Amino acid sequence: MAASVLGWALRAARQVLPSACTRQVRSYYVDWRMLRDVKRRKLAYEYADERLRINAIRKNTILPKELQEVADKEIAALPRDSCPVRIRNRCVLTSRPRGVKRRWRLSRIVFRHFADHAQMSGIQRAMW
Amino acid sequence: STSSVLPAEKDEPTASTDSTAKVASKSQGSTAETPKQKLLDIIGGMKVEVSYRKKLQQLKAHEIKKRATNKLEDQDSEGSMLRKAKEDIQRGKPLNPELVEAASAVASSLPLNKKQTESELLAQLRRHEETTDKQKKGGIINIRNVISEMSIKRQSRAERGVRISSRISLEMDEDGQRIRPGRFAPQSFDSRSLKVGKRLNIFTKVSTETENALKTVSSPTIWDLEFAKEIAAITAQPPRNGFEEMIQWTKEGILWEFPVDNEAGMEDDAEFHEHIFLEKHLKDFPKQGPIRHFMELVICGLSKNPYLSVKQKVEHIEWFQKYFDEKKEFLQEI
Repeated sequence: MAASVLGWALRAARQVLPSACTRQVRSYYVDWRMLRDVKRRKLAYEYADERLRINAIRKNTILPKELQEVADKEIAALPRDSCPVRIRNRCVLTSRPRGVKRRWRLSRIVFRHFADHAQMSGIQRAMW
Repeated sequence: STSSVLPAEKDEPTASTDSTAKVASKSQGSTAETPKQKLLDIIGGMKVEVSYRKKLQQLKAHEIKKRATNKLEDQDSEGSMLRKAKEDIQRGKPLNPELVEAASAVASSLPLNKKQTESELLAQLRRHEETTDKQKKGGIINIRNVISEMSIKRQSRAERGVRISSRISLEMDEDGQRIRPGRFAPQSFDSRSLKVGKRLNIFTKVSTETENALKTVSSPTIWDLEFAKEIAAITAQPPRNGFEEMIQWTKEGILWEFPVDNEAGMEDDAEFHEHIFLEKHLKDFPKQGPIRHFMELVICGLSKNPYLSVKQKVEHIEWFQKYFDEKKEFLQEI
């Protein structure tokens, strides 16, 4: 009884006050396209093994062709977002689909911005 | 010297019980056994002052010596026995040489240091004689006086009164606090220490196992969990500096542990032969045919793969097995 009252009081207090650990929490994606990309990545991760195995059956010359046709149908029946081909390496901060450097996952504009402000470790303006 | 005699005296009743049993067996007086045993039981179950107990021990020792020499008539109660012992004490002097012989006999019958016990018994006898002399001079034969006087560590009434009054001192200091009497407690307990004496076996040891079992049975309620969460949330203070922030991240798993461990998270305890020789998993497959050929290729590829664990490889093979089992009817049509 006392514990519940105490808990309720604490919860109310927590809502009023800001959360204790202040850290940048990304609760929103930059835009809906980024969200869809995230969903595709998740599904692709889930179905990766199955797709690999079915493709192994499809892409060989030993097994009979009928079996391979059945495998074709099976892989086509999987959800469309589970194929990794649909994933687009977008910029992490701006969701820009083009001009993204893979190593930093950033678009060229953001990269330049940070590099000029010396916030990219080991990056220097080229001069030769 | 008295304190050194004390533990020996404590040994004596236990030893004297043995000796009484032995003496009883030796002597033919079977009638003497039951009152003796009764006395022993009573003494064993009694909670008495030390002085009184010592008195009884001394009386018992007297009894033993007496019985070693002469046989006894019937004795019904402890009171009569005490009276008899008192009479013995009164007749201490003329019995002296006989008592000495009896003491030596008793000491020889005891399992412990015979000479030591003999000397102790004789010392007791001497003390008896002193007290009996005093009694004779006093004239009045009262057991209570005898007992009180026969205690080895005697507190005279005056001294006792002084001690008690000194404990409860009504004198006040300047501050209004009582003047403390000082440490008297350890002194008073010298004659009666806590761990000496026969166990009464009143209390049984509480088994801790049942307690632990009871504690584990009650699972934490939702309120307890909530409370614990609240406490954790409140105690988790924001990091004061970058180091603490990095520590927090490492604990959460966001940051790797430095120096970087290449095999962090990878716990493959399997030997190399389990990775390479995967043919044992192909037992359920047909020996001939394209499926076998296909699976052998699969195994060849898996054996060359260093990135998968044995468990994952086995899962692959099992999936293929299941797939081909489902497609069996279809394959037979072909």
